[in-house]
Amino acid sequence: MEFVSPEGLRLDGRRPMEMRQIRAEIGVVAKADGSAMFEMGNTKVVAAVYGPREVQNRSQQLNANALVRCEYTMANFSTGDRMRKPKGDRRSTEISLVIRQTMEECILTNLMPRSQIDIFVQVLQADGGTRSACINAATLALADAGIPMRDIVTSCSAGYLNSTPLLDLNYIEDSAGGTDVTLGIMPKLDKVTLLQMDAKLSLDTFENVMQLAIEGCKAVADYIREILLENTKQLQYRRGT
Amino acid sequence: MVGLSIGEKYFIQGGIAQDLRTDGRKRLSPRPIFVETGNISQSNGSARVRIGATEVIASVKAELGRPSALHPDKGKVSINVDCSPTAAPMFEGRGGEELSSELSVALQRCLLGGKSGSGAGIDLSSLAIVEGKICWDLYIEGLVVSSDGNLLDALGAAIKAALSNTGIPRVNVAAGASGDEQPEVDISDEEFLQFDTSKVPVIVTLTKVGRHYIVDATSEEESQMSLAVSISVNRQGNICGLTKRGGAGLDPSVILDMISVALSVSERLINTLDSQRAAAEAGKDEL
Repeated sequence: MEFVSPEGLRLDGRRPMEMRQIRAEIGVVAKADGSAMFEMGNTKVVAAVYGPREVQNRSQQLNANALVRCEYTMANFSTGDRMRKPKGDRRSTEISLVIRQTMEECILTNLMPRSQIDIFVQVLQADGGTRSACINAATLALADAGIPMRDIVTSCSAGYLNSTPLLDLNYIEDSAGGTDVTLGIMPKLDKVTLLQMDAKLSLDTFENVMQLAIEGCKAVADYIREILLENTKQLQYRRGT
Repeated sequence: MVGLSIGEKYFIQGGIAQDLRTDGRKRLSPRPIFVETGNISQSNGSARVRIGATEVIASVKAELGRPSALHPDKGKVSINVDCSPTAAPMFEGRGGEELSSELSVALQRCLLGGKSGSGAGIDLSSLAIVEGKICWDLYIEGLVVSSDGNLLDALGAAIKAALSNTGIPRVNVAAGASGDEQPEVDISDEEFLQFDTSKVPVIVTLTKVGRHYIVDATSEEESQMSLAVSISVNRQGNICGLTKRGGAGLDPSVILDMISVALSVSERLINTLDSQRAAAEAGKDEL
């Protein structure tokens, strides 16, 4: 199948180095301590953060750090074909773990010992790149909850199809069998916190693909900063200062 | 879980007794409702409903299936509700399953009628394509994204809005199939049939706190309830289903009183939903 036309356009009309439209909104779940919605094209996720609060299960309590927990759930209607998946299948458990580890790295857990922070991400629409969208939404939700962080974490995926590096794969490109690199970075510290890749790739091309993913992450980071700044301005305005 | 002090509890109960609730509403005035349709592109129809801080999403998917042997001239509808852990940390893991199934069963009772499908708010015979062979199966999925009480009414409104937004593809059945053969069908990509939702009921829940009952309770108020009666009413004023939750006993005459109150409340609710739908459609036409 041809994923990049001779004119250099992808199936959904994007250029290889173009991202899907991203949109974010803060404070979508009123009852949560922090929440955000993040859209990447047709992928749409909601993240809610509860905490820091008392540890629910005493045996898990950490005396030096905060306990960070994460749960990833997909709505039944989020995918194209309808299927009932039991809660806590292997894929969601793995993604929960990935998100938890990525976010734990950027939260200053040592400031909140003996407490617990819950991150819940809910996929409303899945069209490839749910992992990245979840991490971006979780970052925004954590920031909205006012949890101290080293830096924001942003994520973006890149792939390699038809010997072209492609940024931000959608579902069709993702399931095409080519390489899929999911990358998460802390843009200010310039550190990679998440890196996952499947399928094989030569070292030279990997470098290109990864560079592309880094560029994507940075673009997302710029957008997220803008949204956070806008939100802070709103809060300041409401406070009347 | 709502954690309230004794003072807060008395404040809520006392306010309801004096017809002035904590958010300034009267006992029988609902919160404003916001409806947005067609926001889940993967499904045939979808709607998002917001009542105060409660937010639910309903999606309708249509698939071809075989009608059941008992009712060859009817389609099938299933309703399923999920509680997302984003709504409350207690829904994490399997924590939300009890509430999810309670809501699903209540919705099925209120919208789908008896086991035979008679008296259903959704016209099941309109889903039949070839009698005994092919019919549409509607899968209605509800998702609770944010919870601040009155979930059942919000889900009922969301399902009604999602059904009115649903387009079912027109199906052409190839002639010539006879006997036991499964006829060939051709699903049109362009032509969609709108679903008749004028008879789909809305649900009104009356929550009894102390000696009085209120509509559209928040989760704080729900924590103080002794019982709740959910009544589903359609535009014609017919009662399509009833569910009582909570353990306390209820005087039969009070039930009749509650039903008449639910009728008047539902009329306002249906009008609001219809006008929002009309406004949304008008907005789309302009674009």
